[in-house]
Amino acid sequence: MSGFSVVLAKECRDNFRDIRTILASFSLALLGPALFAAMMAFVLNTTLGESRESFRLAVVGSEHAPRLMEHLGRFNVELTEVTLDDPRQAVRDGREDLVLVIDADYPRRLEAGERAAVALIHDSSRMGTARRNYSRAQQMIGQYSRKLGILRVQLRGMDPALLSPIAVSEVDTASPAARAMTLLTVLPYLLVLVVFMGGFYLAIDATAGEREHGSLEPLLSQPISRAQLVLGKVAAASVFSAISTALFLIGLSLSLPFVPLHKVGMSLAIDLNACVQMFFVSLPLVFLGASLLTVVASFAKSYKEAQTYLTVVILIPTLPLIVTQMLNVEATTALMLIPSFSQATLISDLIKGEALEWAHVAVSMAATGTLAALTAWVAVALYKRERMLV
Amino acid sequence: MIRGEGLGKSFGRVEAIRGVDLHAPDGRITALLGPNGAGKSTTLRILATVLQADRGHAWVDGAEVSADPAAVRRSIGVLPHGAGLYARLSARENIAYFGALHGLGRAALRARVDELVEQLDMGEFANRRVAGFSQGQRIKVALARALVHDPKNVLLDEPTNGLDVMATRALREIIIALKRQGRCVVFSSHVMQEVATLCDDLIIVGGGQVRFAGSLDELRTRTGQDDLEDAFVDVVGEQPA
Repeated sequence: MSGFSVVLAKECRDNFRDIRTILASFSLALLGPALFAAMMAFVLNTTLGESRESFRLAVVGSEHAPRLMEHLGRFNVELTEVTLDDPRQAVRDGREDLVLVIDADYPRRLEAGERAAVALIHDSSRMGTARRNYSRAQQMIGQYSRKLGILRVQLRGMDPALLSPIAVSEVDTASPAARAMTLLTVLPYLLVLVVFMGGFYLAIDATAGEREHGSLEPLLSQPISRAQLVLGKVAAASVFSAISTALFLIGLSLSLPFVPLHKVGMSLAIDLNACVQMFFVSLPLVFLGASLLTVVASFAKSYKEAQTYLTVVILIPTLPLIVTQMLNVEATTALMLIPSFSQATLISDLIKGEALEWAHVAVSMAATGTLAALTAWVAVALYKRERMLV
Repeated sequence: MIRGEGLGKSFGRVEAIRGVDLHAPDGRITALLGPNGAGKSTTLRILATVLQADRGHAWVDGAEVSADPAAVRRSIGVLPHGAGLYARLSARENIAYFGALHGLGRAALRARVDELVEQLDMGEFANRRVAGFSQGQRIKVALARALVHDPKNVLLDEPTNGLDVMATRALREIIIALKRQGRCVVFSSHVMQEVATLCDDLIIVGGGQVRFAGSLDELRTRTGQDDLEDAFVDVVGEQPA
């Protein structure tokens, strides 16, 4: 066995024995996909739910407005006559989501051609279905009101168009699917963090930790070149980072089927093939992350100091993502030169089930791979300096 | 055999050692004695190829430390200050790690580790993880690790630091055994009594320079002091603590 593989094997074995390192390295990879799927499912179920599904509308005094009830009955509404002393309190307490209150003088005013009033009681601080049902009920009653208005105007021999001088027609071009896609932009951030978190603690243990425990000095007097020693450590951090990435991708492919994307007419299935491709395009980022973490942790004299530095380092790969997202940049071949952004783009494409552009893949892997090699070279150069010790 | 000529090393503006000459022959124990901050560790680190001397040269079995560090590393075993073991690895695994770095094959490594475990009387704790070991146990493991490739030269940086009487005695016997095996043993210490019971040759350093080199008897004759501690103080000179 060469010195490189001896160091690699030792660092992996040593760190696999540390339960805290294992937990810290892989928890994000294991929990991330489940949390993401749960969040997606929640958002889809609440804000983008089926708008034609029936809902319950509690009515107080329905006997005063049989025509209105008839109108509402044509929609998919479960009209329920309730007797409530204090409908407001019932909504406030959450016993009812939505209550329609019809006054006893409703029929008299209607007959007299006056303005009749109904109250629609709801709680606007409640999100999701309650809010959606309120606006549906409001629309239905508004529609009935306009119908009556038109009839009254026509009876008086006037043009109903007088009532609405301006007709606004609303056109929302965003499909529910597009809105769901905006959620997917969280995924690349998560992936980049997972890649970096995987190697985080091993990189610290193998550099600052080794120095803190006094084992670096005897290690440096062993007959192994500094290049083999440092690259062995970088490789061990890469192994942990790659495991973290693989766990994340497997978790994602297992949890995405639980997201009700069919409701917005989409499917985001990640099959084994896509999983392997994602892992493959992430690999250069894995090496870059391991090298970068090793370089920075090497400057630290203690575990704690290294942790402080690396917490800042871990934010660096998210910067390209934030900037490109704010500027709303389209992915071009030139932009594939940017590490972390290029991997995020390629992985988003794979998640959407789009075929990869091989030029993009080639540029991304070559650029990030080259940067990873340069960073690893810096790490080796650092360990050739004797200031590493004192 | 270890030889140094005019070794000098500075850290920034601080001159740790200047013009250190030393000679440590095979089959003898050479002590590097001096107060704290005298330059003992710096000298040993230069010999261990961990630091590079700014001035002067040193040879281990004929190989120059900065010109051919790889050859020097193969022929020395180093016990650093404070052992420096991996807490989550067992004693055997700690020893085997350095053996593997020295290129020992699986079977040879196993045999060598068994041999060291027996020699240093570590059977009781050899398969346990190092976390929780006593200082004496740690020093034994670190020493076994330094000896795993059967080096001709052994450098020990304050090996008895933090050891109790029994552990110190055990270590002393091990060091004497190393000498009998014909090795060149160099150890540093700041305790005169310990040096007196163990060393054949004595090098006293103070303020980064060699103040005395020779045998204990020569030290007594030179200073005219019968008591070794008085002789030591005489050579180094009273220094503010």
